[in-house]
Amino acid sequence: MKGLSDIFGGQRHLLFSGLLLVLLLVFLLDLLVIDRIFGPFVYFYLFFALLIIFYGIYPLYVNRRLTRYYWVRTKRHHLAVIGLSFIIFLVAVAIIGPFLTQDPTEVDFPNKNLPPVGFSAEQAIYDRNTGQFITRETPGTWHHPLGTDDKGRDMLAMLVSGTRISLQVGLMATLIAIFIGLIMGVVSAYLGGWADNALMRFTDIMMTFPFFLLLVFIVFIFGPSLWFIILAIGLTGWTGTARLVRSEALSLRTRDFIMASKSLGASDRRIVFRHLIPNVLSSVIVIATLSIPGVILAEAALSFIGLGDPTVTSWGLVLHAGQRSLDTAWWIAVEPGIMLFLTVLAFNFLGDGIRDAFDPRSQV
Amino acid sequence: MKRGGLQNYIIRRLIYAFVIAFGVVTITFILLRIGPSSPADKYLANISARTQNPAKVIEAVEARYGLDKPIVQQYFDYLVNLARGDWGWSFSTSLPVIELIRRHWIYSFQLILLSMLFASSLGILIGIYSAVKQYTRTDYIATFFSFIGISIPNFWLGIMLILVFSVQLGWFKTYYDTGLPLFSLANLKALILPVITLGTGMMAGYTRYARSSTLENLRKDFVKTARAKGLPERVVIGKHVFRNAILPIITIIMFDLAGVVFGGAYLTEIIFGIPGLGRVSFNAIFANDYPVVITITLIGAMVVLLTNLATDIVYTWLDPRIRYD
Amino acid sequence: MQINELKTYFFTRLGVVKAVDGVSFELRKGECLCLVGESGCGKTATALSVLRLVDSPPGRIVDGAVMYHGEDLLKSTATRLRQIRGNRIAMIFQDPQSSLNPVFTVGDQIMEPIRLHLKLGKQPARERALSLMKQVGIPQAEERMKYYPHQFSGGMKQRAMIAAALSCGPEILIADEPTTALDTTIKAQILDIFRDLKQKMNMSILFITHDLGTVAGIADRIIVMYGGRIAEAGSVLDIFDRPKHPYTWGLLNCLPTISEHREKMTSIPGVIPSLIDPPQGCIFYPRCGWRMPVCQEQRPGEYAISGEHIAACYLYK
Repeated sequence: MKGLSDIFGGQRHLLFSGLLLVLLLVFLLDLLVIDRIFGPFVYFYLFFALLIIFYGIYPLYVNRRLTRYYWVRTKRHHLAVIGLSFIIFLVAVAIIGPFLTQDPTEVDFPNKNLPPVGFSAEQAIYDRNTGQFITRETPGTWHHPLGTDDKGRDMLAMLVSGTRISLQVGLMATLIAIFIGLIMGVVSAYLGGWADNALMRFTDIMMTFPFFLLLVFIVFIFGPSLWFIILAIGLTGWTGTARLVRSEALSLRTRDFIMASKSLGASDRRIVFRHLIPNVLSSVIVIATLSIPGVILAEAALSFIGLGDPTVTSWGLVLHAGQRSLDTAWWIAVEPGIMLFLTVLAFNFLGDGIRDAFDPRSQV
Repeated sequence: MKRGGLQNYIIRRLIYAFVIAFGVVTITFILLRIGPSSPADKYLANISARTQNPAKVIEAVEARYGLDKPIVQQYFDYLVNLARGDWGWSFSTSLPVIELIRRHWIYSFQLILLSMLFASSLGILIGIYSAVKQYTRTDYIATFFSFIGISIPNFWLGIMLILVFSVQLGWFKTYYDTGLPLFSLANLKALILPVITLGTGMMAGYTRYARSSTLENLRKDFVKTARAKGLPERVVIGKHVFRNAILPIITIIMFDLAGVVFGGAYLTEIIFGIPGLGRVSFNAIFANDYPVVITITLIGAMVVLLTNLATDIVYTWLDPRIRYD
Repeated sequence: MQINELKTYFFTRLGVVKAVDGVSFELRKGECLCLVGESGCGKTATALSVLRLVDSPPGRIVDGAVMYHGEDLLKSTATRLRQIRGNRIAMIFQDPQSSLNPVFTVGDQIMEPIRLHLKLGKQPARERALSLMKQVGIPQAEERMKYYPHQFSGGMKQRAMIAAALSCGPEILIADEPTTALDTTIKAQILDIFRDLKQKMNMSILFITHDLGTVAGIADRIIVMYGGRIAEAGSVLDIFDRPKHPYTWGLLNCLPTISEHREKMTSIPGVIPSLIDPPQGCIFYPRCGWRMPVCQEQRPGEYAISGEHIAACYLYK
């Protein structure tokens, strides 16, 4: 056991690899033998949960002083704390919300275009008795606290579903983008020479494509399913991270502690993993947090123009419906927009706070 | 670099830009070909559905686009065609793609130009002012608004503006009137809401950059020297600080083009019904008119490339530290 | 110029830093007065306070007066202050690389005060700038005017700064560690320029430095500062031949000399005190080898030793 753990560089890594293996087996089982033990996203979640627990939470737990230091600095930014609270709230909504609300896809035509509680709107209702349309003030009801859309679907339910989607997309697409960017950046910086050159040229090429145009192009080619959209966003958004990581890694590379390591005989791989990556990690965390809003907006924009996954109720989709009914049912457009806005704002607050907390220059 | 060095730099940069352009075009081609049901098939399906003699049309199109030839051959043809200006035929509009672009680019251009002017002038001014008056109430307000500005989804802002100003207040039409002559006041009025939509997010970003760049320069020693010379504060800021702060701002504004501006313009055009290239591309997507989509994507990339090139050169020229080394 | 009880404090998140805590001295016509002390003793803050160039959000001149030709500079209007800055009282700073604006030519920056204060046109200003550059010893001045700061060497940059400072013929030149960032040989050349200025133009120079060697070469009078206060003041001879304050003894002892043979380098034991919440008594108390009980209770005044020679130490009360 000891020998085995040495190979993996420590017990923690051994445990992680073990659990990863188990996960992989279950995944394969799901894929090939039994049908659908878990939904496809669940594996993703579990994988990243493992990653975060073993390489994020555990080190923080062990290194209490460092954690507390960063926490105190972040706490000073009131806005960041507000942002974080809102995000936690959103996560809660995303996880338990769908169990508490109605089915967002359930249409209910007689109840269409209901305004939110406290408002009332004029509606043209077809009165079967007289055979004509009469306008009547229809107030909102608590049955549909946020109103309904033009097909009678409950707004609250749709918003909750949208929360789930946006957070999923935000998390996963960002993780993909960061992952690719990190690898590209570190490898490029570390290998140097023509490999670095080639990789950077490739990054330049990808950066030349306008992000949204490229996204639309990919969705156009590959089709609008949620999985592809997440992948597409991840595959188009890594360039910024790669650039930054590379420049940080480059500057670190010439720093003394790397050379000291090398002179002590550390292997290349060890240097990369134990020294380079932890140091660029703080910048990466900042970039990640600040990328999430862009990702969420990208998915929302795609759904809004109709290129999103139509089987999934996301905020963008609701907005799309809302644009048609601006004069009759303004809330359909206003509500998802507010959610988007607040979510993005929260992440921006948080990201800004984290960036200030990590920035060594803002020491007093 | 010495004086002649600037020329060398430009030449080297041009060559590099060419390489990148080549890469961009290649990647587009690759993406196209690895798609599941190749858009070409959908295109063919659409074309043939519109004619009486599908088989013959398919043959003709295949011959024209060389879809039956080996991939490498297709690649070369693709490159040659692009260079020659033969960008394909848009069946949904019955126009050669190049003509389609010729008719519509001006709308995108005016939108983007006006938005950038609006965003950069206001943004930079507010940013500098905010930095100079750091920690005052004005600074906090400006910073707060810039946060809001970058967080508001610009497509939602557009809709909200339409809701308030067109639907409720009736000040503007909800849809862009293409009949208006370009250089008229009425056209300008019709563009107000779109420009605000596109420009607000940009402006918020520029305010932040301008503010941080100015703050950084305010701390520098030459500011103290300028004050010690007895220069009035407005000269210290307006001349000394500004000239140093503006350099990184310009580069960021230009490089932002790819990420923010084009995506935003795309959405703004769709929302307001402005018949620019974004909207054209959008319509083409739903019509599966793929030559249009490819071309417009490529145009976007090329514009970004050219702007980056121009910015690089301008920056080199503006910063004496690089110019005279 | 006379400085009376100047107090400049910096209000930071960690507390109030009393960088200059009651400093008074006089600068006479045609003399070179050196403010000497370790880093953090308040000498730079004092110099900046004269022209009110202290960074104002954290720093503030809370008390005192700077009397110049009968008017208190600390109370004058902004307009009046601007008339004096660069014109009657000029200042140069430590690092010429960062003190010059990198995006304007050196010629431009020298001409700036000329055009501002002397209101000369472009051509006459240019000519004056040229003659100034020659005066400070910049060769090929014609050509070099069009150069940018980064194209100059360190010594040349500092000469350019001096030229800009002299451009309007000021009465007083404040120099904040002008030679610290330069090589030794260049240091000597720059000091020559200062000596020249003093003799030929009868300029008063307030020279700030931590290097006693430089002081010996140029000063008429010396003020030794410590912890934001004056420790000792007197003529060059007073301080070097007959130093009286324990801190000055420590400083002079630290100077490595060729003639003496010592086993190890001596330094003053202890560390520089924090200027936040300074103690009630003498600020040198913790490191002083001659301290007495009274030193801890109350801050010493400035006690006369002979002529202008004073020391802020209870040993001389």
